[in-house]
Amino acid sequence: MSGFLAVYAEHWSSWWPQIAVATWNTVLLTVFSFALAVAIGILLALGKLSPLRLVRALCTAYIEVARGVPALAILFLIYFGLVPLGIVLDAFVAAVVGLGMSAGGYIAEVFRAGIQAIHRGQREAALAVGMTPAQSFRFIILPQAVQIVLPPLLNMLIILLKDTSICSLISTPELMLRAKDLAMMSFLPMHLFLLAAVIYFLLAWPLSLIARRVEARLRRGLRAASP
Amino acid sequence: MLEQIYDLGGPLLLGAVTTVQITLAALVVAIVLGLGLALLKLSRLRLVHWLIDIYVEVFRNTPVLAQLFLIYFGLAYVGFKVASFPAAVIGLGLNGGAILTEVFRAGFAAIHHGQREAALAVGMTPWESMRHIILPQTWRITLPPLGNYAIALLKDTAVVSAIAAPEIMFYARNLVTSTFETTLVYVLAALLYFALSFPLARLVEHFERRQRAWL
Repeated sequence: MSGFLAVYAEHWSSWWPQIAVATWNTVLLTVFSFALAVAIGILLALGKLSPLRLVRALCTAYIEVARGVPALAILFLIYFGLVPLGIVLDAFVAAVVGLGMSAGGYIAEVFRAGIQAIHRGQREAALAVGMTPAQSFRFIILPQAVQIVLPPLLNMLIILLKDTSICSLISTPELMLRAKDLAMMSFLPMHLFLLAAVIYFLLAWPLSLIARRVEARLRRGLRAASP
Repeated sequence: MLEQIYDLGGPLLLGAVTTVQITLAALVVAIVLGLGLALLKLSRLRLVHWLIDIYVEVFRNTPVLAQLFLIYFGLAYVGFKVASFPAAVIGLGLNGGAILTEVFRAGFAAIHHGQREAALAVGMTPWESMRHIILPQTWRITLPPLGNYAIALLKDTAVVSAIAAPEIMFYARNLVTSTFETTLVYVLAALLYFALSFPLARLVEHFERRQRAWL
């Protein structure tokens, strides 16, 4: 055991600068892809509730495909598969786009469920007091929907954080890739993959605790609000 | 074009067979593990709760790819060489076990304790009440989340290509290096996954609708 830990002490000075940068990239990758996924998700959710049949069909098709195909297949398609068509993306950009497009499908369903959970009367009342449809969405529907969608969104953020690890397979310079490279160079796979797992855990666990907290609080709140 | 699809489709379908095998094997491991641990959590032993909670938290808050690399590369380093197929099943199974422990725990929690008390009151043993009263009801409650997990698992098998398990993505990567048909191969691979997961998703929807009707 102490021999196992001694290896970390021995290599720490050469490992930590690289691991620190890679961890930061993982955080950035998570944040950017989550932002993109939320933007795509909102657009798709609105599209799926649109009165236009064609828009509805297109958004439904996107959601089904994004949810039915592994994120890794989407990443490979974007990073390698677009090259013959003359579209060459940086590995980090491809990772953000791929993860964002994939998670966007899930988040769309989260938002759609959130919007639909709000009674129609809310919107009708807002329109009746003279709000425009945009105002009723912004001030009446959205604030209520956020409460409903917050817990599943947080869970999605945690899933996305863990999923960024697969971007190492398209050589995005994040934590898993760096751990793998260092493992190959030093022949210490156990140490480096364990280190990577610990770092992912330290990033994800606090989020899990927050997500559970928020969920418990909102459930209490919703129960108190309902008659 | 059609001839090309035919040529590329063969190896990809071969990979799909492995994908399905890994999915089913890992699903069995995850269900056995999840159900077993959720049952153990019904006990009042503090230490047991504690150990299960640690397992669940660790496996739910680390990427499955890290778990797979630890099992495949990490264990080889300490002298335990695990082949890629069993490593994939063990990794995905352990990961799923943590998810399903929570699913089954929630399922048990959703059943009113009066059910068990009534079963004991009419003379059933604790085992009989579990077998005939609690488990059948838990089963109906957990079927939709279980189905959703199965879909997620099917898609997660794509990452085991990273430890050289010969499934769809693994064959796709090999085909790309031998044919250079990059776009076509990855589009076909994506379509293949979709063809596998879409019917499964409809089935889960059916379960969900039936459950809503039942509740």
